[in-house]
Amino acid sequence: MIGRISPQALVVPLLLLIALTVGAVVNERFLTLGNLRNFTEQLAALGFVSLGQAFVILGGGIDLSIGAIASLAAVLLAGLHGGNEALFIPSLLLVLAGGAAVGAMNGWLTVWLRVHPLIVTLGMASVLSGITLLYAPQPRGSVPFWFEGFAFDSLAGVPLSGLLLGALFLITALVLTRTPFGRRVYAVGGNAEAARLSGLSVKPTIITTYALSGFFAALAGAYYVSRTGVGDPHAGDALTLASLTPVIVGGILLGGGRGGLGGVFLGVLLISLLNNLLNYMNLSTFVQWWCKGW
Amino acid sequence: MSGLAVTGGARAALAALRLERFALIGAVIGLTIVAATLSPAFLTLGNLRDIFTQAAPLGMVVLAQALIMLVRGIDLSVASVMASAAVLATAFTSTDNADIPLIFGAVLLGGAVIGGINGWLVTRRNVSPLLATLAMMILLQGVRFAYTQGAPSGLLPSGFRWLGTGQIYGIPVNLSVLLILALGLWVMLRYTMLGRAIYIIGGNPRAAELVGLSAQRVTMLCYCLGSMLAGIAGLFLVGFVGTVDNWVGRGYELDSIVAAVIGGVSLAGGSGSIVGALLGVLILVLLSNLVVILGLPVEFQLILKGVIIILATGLYARRMRA
Repeated sequence: MIGRISPQALVVPLLLLIALTVGAVVNERFLTLGNLRNFTEQLAALGFVSLGQAFVILGGGIDLSIGAIASLAAVLLAGLHGGNEALFIPSLLLVLAGGAAVGAMNGWLTVWLRVHPLIVTLGMASVLSGITLLYAPQPRGSVPFWFEGFAFDSLAGVPLSGLLLGALFLITALVLTRTPFGRRVYAVGGNAEAARLSGLSVKPTIITTYALSGFFAALAGAYYVSRTGVGDPHAGDALTLASLTPVIVGGILLGGGRGGLGGVFLGVLLISLLNNLLNYMNLSTFVQWWCKGW
Repeated sequence: MSGLAVTGGARAALAALRLERFALIGAVIGLTIVAATLSPAFLTLGNLRDIFTQAAPLGMVVLAQALIMLVRGIDLSVASVMASAAVLATAFTSTDNADIPLIFGAVLLGGAVIGGINGWLVTRRNVSPLLATLAMMILLQGVRFAYTQGAPSGLLPSGFRWLGTGQIYGIPVNLSVLLILALGLWVMLRYTMLGRAIYIIGGNPRAAELVGLSAQRVTMLCYCLGSMLAGIAGLFLVGFVGTVDNWVGRGYELDSIVAAVIGGVSLAGGSGSIVGALLGVLILVLLSNLVVILGLPVEFQLILKGVIIILATGLYARRMRA
């Protein structure tokens, strides 16, 4: 991953620089600390899910159930404790574990049924959306006041969510490059058959990547709840597609086996920056979508 | 075809196909019996007509999806194309029925261009079909919203209502159109060189190139036809629903894939049939109706669809290996 720097690797940083410059020129409030913090807060959900998606795609799969997992996590987290604050932490743990479990099930279904992950996760998304809407036809529930700190508090001027995101990126990057599991992910994504023949445990590796993705999706759901204070059944809907863009922009090949998290991180920055920039330029959400389509 | 030696393997595959067809028809009959037992009103002519009228636009999209799946593709942009067709139709701000052919022409042209871009991305730029059509879906969404500012004018000739809900001699208009389109595709797939080429390319693109077929051109054509079909489906769905918004056809991308997969169209390409795909639509629609008849919340339809698509693809994948 490190080594020769190809021209393509420079495209995203260059775009980032351009976006920053344009932002600074267009609006003087853009490069202020306030906006920077604002920006970091918005970044978190996209960052979490992109991390998960990156694992899955590196391992040769794709996860289209991320948004549905995040939405379900959001309504369950806000609703399960039923106003009893003592039950909030257990339900948070339960939701995060549940996200990982649903992800693991995605992975298990892909390796066991050998169905294309696209279909498995799309089907799973449909099932989860159904459950979410059964449980919460409208936004419901509440969160203890202190939990909103997850989204709004900061430590030494840096938002907590931003710190967490940075830490997670560092840890996962280390896991990917320095541990046997990380190398297995690359090997399986590069050529599953070759990995199997050389004695690697392909199936558990794949299942783990999906479990991670599910976990991060649930974390994004929890983050939304802490931001809005309520469990919105559509909270994560946009995340599925959103999670793909930074991963692809960041240069991880769809098909697996190549690419690093550094690119994904830059991708997340770029996409969030574009969103933020377009807000500042008073362009409507419609144009935002249009730009992302490219 | 008869000139080629039919190997034992091919014969077994044919037998499996026939078995699959029986299973599908059996499922349709079984579901109908269950529905009729649970609700006496189900098997009335009026109700059946309603079901078919409701299912016809989905049927058209499934034709598109099946065609693209045959050449190893998948089209996630179908629903977005449907909505764009609807918005494009209102762009004429016409209430004159004489303009309907013009609107259809414009939508077909637009569909051809969109499908052409999808096909170009997939064949020339080697973008995965999933990604290319996903990008197209988002792009069209953006264009649509930028153009309508969120609220389409909704001006349409009244004739669309007839196209979407009317009847000729008691047969729903949109069902007749679906059947004509399906017949056309069926003949094309079964009896023309192009149809053969589609199956061969879907089955083994490299072999197809070796025998002199242009996989790129045929694949591109399938994407074009698919988007055109999706556009037509959008117009008929607008006629059925009666109003235009930016989300006409929302959810049809999953529904069309589910129906095609249930009907035995392989995601790996090269195998599947139009009849099977339409039977898949019937099964999906019957199941959705059963949820209503059983008095379950409609959200169960989502859950059911998800479970079915996973099970159905799993089943087919296992059979392929057996």
